[in-house]
Amino acid sequence: MMRTLRALFLARLLREKILLVALALVVAALWLSNWAGRASVFLVEERHTTISLADQAKWLAHRNSVEKVAQEAARAFKPEQTLDSTRLLAAIQELAASSGLHNSYTAQPEDASTGQFSVHTLQFTVNKADYEALRAFYLALEKKAPYIGVEQFSVIADKANPASLTATMKISSVEIAR
Amino acid sequence: MLLPDALFFVRSVPVVVDPASDNGAVQVASQVELALEASSPFGLAQLYHGHFWAAGSDRAVVFAAYRRRFTAEQTAVWRGAELVLPTFAAVLGGAVEPATTVVLSSPEGLTAVHWDKGPVPDAVRFQPIPPEATDEERLRARTELLRASESKKVIDLTEPPLAEPRRGDGEVVFRSGDFVSRMPADAARGLDVRDKEELAALRRSRARDVVLWRVGVGCVVFFGLLAIGELALAGGGIWQQARRVKFNAQAPIVAGIMNRQEIADRINDLSTKRLLPIEMLLAVNPKALNPPAAIFFTRAFTTGLYTLTADAQTLNAGEIKTYQNELEALPACASVAIKNQQSRDNLATFTLVVAFKPEALKPLAPAP
Repeated sequence: MMRTLRALFLARLLREKILLVALALVVAALWLSNWAGRASVFLVEERHTTISLADQAKWLAHRNSVEKVAQEAARAFKPEQTLDSTRLLAAIQELAASSGLHNSYTAQPEDASTGQFSVHTLQFTVNKADYEALRAFYLALEKKAPYIGVEQFSVIADKANPASLTATMKISSVEIAR
Repeated sequence: MLLPDALFFVRSVPVVVDPASDNGAVQVASQVELALEASSPFGLAQLYHGHFWAAGSDRAVVFAAYRRRFTAEQTAVWRGAELVLPTFAAVLGGAVEPATTVVLSSPEGLTAVHWDKGPVPDAVRFQPIPPEATDEERLRARTELLRASESKKVIDLTEPPLAEPRRGDGEVVFRSGDFVSRMPADAARGLDVRDKEELAALRRSRARDVVLWRVGVGCVVFFGLLAIGELALAGGGIWQQARRVKFNAQAPIVAGIMNRQEIADRINDLSTKRLLPIEMLLAVNPKALNPPAAIFFTRAFTTGLYTLTADAQTLNAGEIKTYQNELEALPACASVAIKNQQSRDNLATFTLVVAFKPEALKPLAPAP
């Protein structure tokens, strides 16, 4: 077979031989280039999937310990004193009113839940507040810890009247299903 | 391509080769040409000639034919031939015992190749026989030929030797019935009677063609490897697909675990750690320093549980560095950085970033 092919090839004219070999080289180069590109994409995907699967395996292996951590953390709370989103909203409004904060508003609470445990978060903003009222509200909030906690806090002084403050807080509460 | 023996005259000539030299074939070729010039009535340029020599032998068989005995049409077909040699030369590579004669029969006559000892024959004789000769006349001619040499064994080849397909570049094999003649490629090249310059050019072009052939074969082998690579990629794709299916199937479960972890962390943070923004502001309050600094905060916000960032301004830019030094001296501060310092109309503005040590600040209102 190879001898026949060799004899056929050697019997061709020189230009035909050169053309055939050049064609084979070009095809080989194009194929290699195309294959190398696809192989590179495959390797990147393979590596990414390997890392993702390893990450998933890690999480799956820690499933029980995650549950334990949540149970452990929940021990600090008395379930009957925890607040759902409605009670959190009501508590914030009550504390703001009792602290003398007016011009306040809250955004729609966001809930993160595992079924047994939930964390409710809302953004509380107050405009044109004076420092003492804000401090009183903050101290009232602190007294509700750990059932209510401040996760983020920002305050801006009015340019025309630096004593007039705009404060924004991200306030969270824990709810444990009874 | 085998040529009629009748056209060639043949001599066995002594040769001397330096045993230490590795170019014995070249030395023999030049000695053969000299011997041919001495014994031939024609110049070398008027002859088609070749020779046979085996390494270690002290003689060579040289054969030549007058060029004009071949027509232009005949020589034109030589170009495509691998080898062009007289018919008897095809049996010179035979493995024969000493005192053996090989007799080749052709329509033009009989050729006797006699080996006394060693691999190179000592005599090659041709006896022409007219086409109309009877079997008896042919037998008589054969007896006449064999009488010239003492032979212990006579091998009659009734069929002309035929070249076997080549299995490589190292050897040329001719076969006639059971008789096999093997010649190394180097020895076979010496047998070729074509014009030596043309032969050299032919060999160069052949070497180039072989290189092209090998490149072509290399490409084909490479195609095979690429095809294996394609199969590997296809197999890898199927494997990868199966892994992706597994990943997608596990993704909601893992997302649930991650969500539980996040909520557990948040519950843990809410129960054990507290953000103390007012306490942070009081700790860095410029008015609380001794002496108080004329620095005012325009905005402040927390990042994480322990970092406070504040945009501040002052009419006395010189106080900024002093203020930073005072803060760095506070036991609760882990680090103090002043950024984005600018000044316009005697009003210097800057950003203060203070990182507090965990649990260093005490809450104003302890948890119940």
